[in-house]
Amino acid sequence: MNDSSVTLDSADAPVVAANEPIISIDDLSFSYDLGKTNTLRNISLDIPAGKVTAFIGPSGCGKSTLLRCLNRMNDLVDTAKVTTGKINILGQDINAPDVEAIELRKHIGMVFQKYNPFPKSIYENVAYGLRVQGINNKSVLDQAVEESLQKSALWSEVKDRLNTSALGLSGGQQQRLCIARTIAVKPQIVLMDEPCSALDPIATARIEELIAELQQDFTIVIVTHNMQQATRVSDRTAFFYLGELIEYDETTNIFGNPKIKQTEDYVSGRFG
Amino acid sequence: MAKHFQKRGKRILGLDKQSWIKGFFVGNAGISIVVLFLICFFLMLEALRFFPSHHESLKVYRQSGQEYVGHLINQAEGYQEFVSFTNQAYFAEYDALFSKERGIKDSWGALLGEIEDEGEDLAEALEDARDEEDEAAIAKAEADYSAFLLELTSEVDRASIDSFGRLAKHDDAWESLLEAARTYDPVEEDTPEFVAQAIKAQKEGMSDFTKAKNEIASAGTTLKDLRSKLVGITAKIAEDAEADKSAVARKEAILEGADQLEGEARAAALEEAEKIVIRDEFPYGERVKPLEEAKQAHKDAVVKMSAGLVAGIENIPAQLSSEKAVELVAKIKKGEERFLENVDRSLEQATEWKYDEELGFWNSVAKFFFGRDWITNSSWTDVYGLLPLLQGSVMISCIALFFAVPLSIGAAIYVNRLATLKEQNLIKPSIEMIQAIPSIVLGFFGIMVLGQQLQDWSQAAWVPEMFRIQDRLNAFNAGLLLALMAVPTIFTLCEDALNNVPRAYTEASLALGASKLQTVTRVIVPTAISGILAAVLLGLGRVIGETMVVLLVAGNRISMPDWGQGLGIMMQPTHTMTGIIAQEMPEVGEGTLHYRALFLVGLVLFTISLAINISAQKIIKRLGNA
Repeated sequence: MNDSSVTLDSADAPVVAANEPIISIDDLSFSYDLGKTNTLRNISLDIPAGKVTAFIGPSGCGKSTLLRCLNRMNDLVDTAKVTTGKINILGQDINAPDVEAIELRKHIGMVFQKYNPFPKSIYENVAYGLRVQGINNKSVLDQAVEESLQKSALWSEVKDRLNTSALGLSGGQQQRLCIARTIAVKPQIVLMDEPCSALDPIATARIEELIAELQQDFTIVIVTHNMQQATRVSDRTAFFYLGELIEYDETTNIFGNPKIKQTEDYVSGRFG
Repeated sequence: MAKHFQKRGKRILGLDKQSWIKGFFVGNAGISIVVLFLICFFLMLEALRFFPSHHESLKVYRQSGQEYVGHLINQAEGYQEFVSFTNQAYFAEYDALFSKERGIKDSWGALLGEIEDEGEDLAEALEDARDEEDEAAIAKAEADYSAFLLELTSEVDRASIDSFGRLAKHDDAWESLLEAARTYDPVEEDTPEFVAQAIKAQKEGMSDFTKAKNEIASAGTTLKDLRSKLVGITAKIAEDAEADKSAVARKEAILEGADQLEGEARAAALEEAEKIVIRDEFPYGERVKPLEEAKQAHKDAVVKMSAGLVAGIENIPAQLSSEKAVELVAKIKKGEERFLENVDRSLEQATEWKYDEELGFWNSVAKFFFGRDWITNSSWTDVYGLLPLLQGSVMISCIALFFAVPLSIGAAIYVNRLATLKEQNLIKPSIEMIQAIPSIVLGFFGIMVLGQQLQDWSQAAWVPEMFRIQDRLNAFNAGLLLALMAVPTIFTLCEDALNNVPRAYTEASLALGASKLQTVTRVIVPTAISGILAAVLLGLGRVIGETMVVLLVAGNRISMPDWGQGLGIMMQPTHTMTGIIAQEMPEVGEGTLHYRALFLVGLVLFTISLAINISAQKIIKRLGNA
């Protein structure tokens, strides 16, 4: 994964070159109540591989919902339903009947708003994703744990206490552990749902540095409330408002030269 | 100054309304605490008084010589088992070898009985005719009699004559019997040749075994006789000693009564009071002399018994044809050595018995907690041993938890994590509804339906021998019903524990590509494990204190299980701590040793329940802190 193209592990997975769309959303409408009201309406956008894409917008605009559509986390809600449109990831319609959400999620990791390590040891937290795939070989796990912790810049801080509870770490460390846990299974795409909203500014800065580094290996989609953060970490930015995609462009354009009035109002702090 | 801030409203007994309301609630809480305290206090008071009384009664047991005779009884009863096994083996063998011969012998006897009953008058007529030597009368009587025999033999009910069906496969023997019956002469009363042969054959064929059997049986008679003699003596000593203790009180009572009387009645009462001897000490030493004297005879009897047993067992024929007999003889031989050792040890202990030996107080405690018998209202002596009851309670609880725990945890996981909302709304109330079934109804169900059903099922060919149910009411049946009672408790608490697992864990696990099942087994259950453990403990508390079901269904046999049965002990009837209290408490006299023993059982039960509840609470608390 060190070259700048990404691929599914399985033999028939297509190869997506850097900057080509790895996720393409086409006219997606989504409802939480079996189609009575649409939370997302007619969204179309392509997310390029190997880049960081930020979703911004005021509360309730649907940016988190869209993110959770990408790894089908919304399946947990019984009444959730994609009413129209398609999401193609790596060239495959992820809502097709023959797609298994479990398999999908092995390729699309997710980091949550509130850090949520399991009440297990640090080691077991990172190894979890591999263990559920049936990998129990100690040396393989050891290597994956070390590699992931190093990539998430946590190794030096925890290497002496891998077997202590993850809940003993500080908030920022816990969130980095969650990132390590996510990248341990080597997904192509990492979704981040406001990963810094529960952290203090110093911890936030560290996570942002980490995102910049991870960008080399993963396609990252990040939802954020914090517009400065979007400008700092992302290559492209999508602005949502009331369930619709208002504008989607290079981050510099969105913040420096928005084409649409609503975007300009939002990024300049006039509402939101 | 204006009094704006003064309290308003009427005061009652110097207290205002707020204080009264507060007092009301404090009172409610206080009453429950006081009641709890009182219950504990009285339970302890009655229960702990058991030990001194028990000690006193054990002392009488020793001093009166009952302890000595107890050894003797054990020896004699142990021996009786061999006698009974030998008898069973003997008859099994007899049946296997000489079933036909026995059938002929017994059937002939039964036929004769029938003939003699029915043909009594005719037989007399025949005898009279022969006495008078009147040819015509003889001929007529003989004709009448053979007509009667012909009729009887043609009508006779084969099943009632050959009541064990031993001749079912021997039609020829049956026909010969009828043939012989038809020509039977009531005056001569001779036995047909083939019947006599059958009797001779079986007698000869069984002679070795008969000899062995009689040898074993007769070897024990001396000890048996000695036993009944000594039991009488010691029981009288114990009774007199008991009476002696209340002598002072009795005398006083009679004298007091005499004061109310006049004249002759008064004199009689005074005389009666005079008869009561008040002694400082009961003369045990003098009274137990006959026992000391019997020691040698006892020893001789035991030696004779052991020798007779060894010789008798050797004389049992080596070749047996009945499978059951072989099995029984193997059992006898297996038990022989251990019995002989036990008898020797028991004899030694008996010889060492001294009526005035000091009896430590801890004996009274140990005999209760480690006693293997619970015998009450017996003609000999009452024994209060907790073990059979404790093991019954523990065994039934284990069976109940064995079934209830996987069921309720499984159900809780399903409802909490996998079921749709609709399924949840159906399953949860249904399981909680089980709690609404009164335990008496469950017990009724256990007796009338489940017991019979389990017994029928257990007869299936694939069920191992030891799990075949002999008694409809047994520990397994009770355990199953208690499992049903424990399910709602464990299920509800488990579900709460699972509910407390943050949703974020589930999401994180699923997002990492785990399946729902993996999420449950690897994240949710390990996280909720202490809550689940607490739920199981509270379920155990519920089960061990349950009374009605076990009283109705457990079979109420007080005995230590026969460990030779392995897990088959689950299929045996048993008794429990709760059951014994419910069963015996209404019938005991207040303040008696039995009464206190039951209170002590109650205290033990209370302590166990308390320990279970406290540990569950501790676990829950730790969960709350984590």
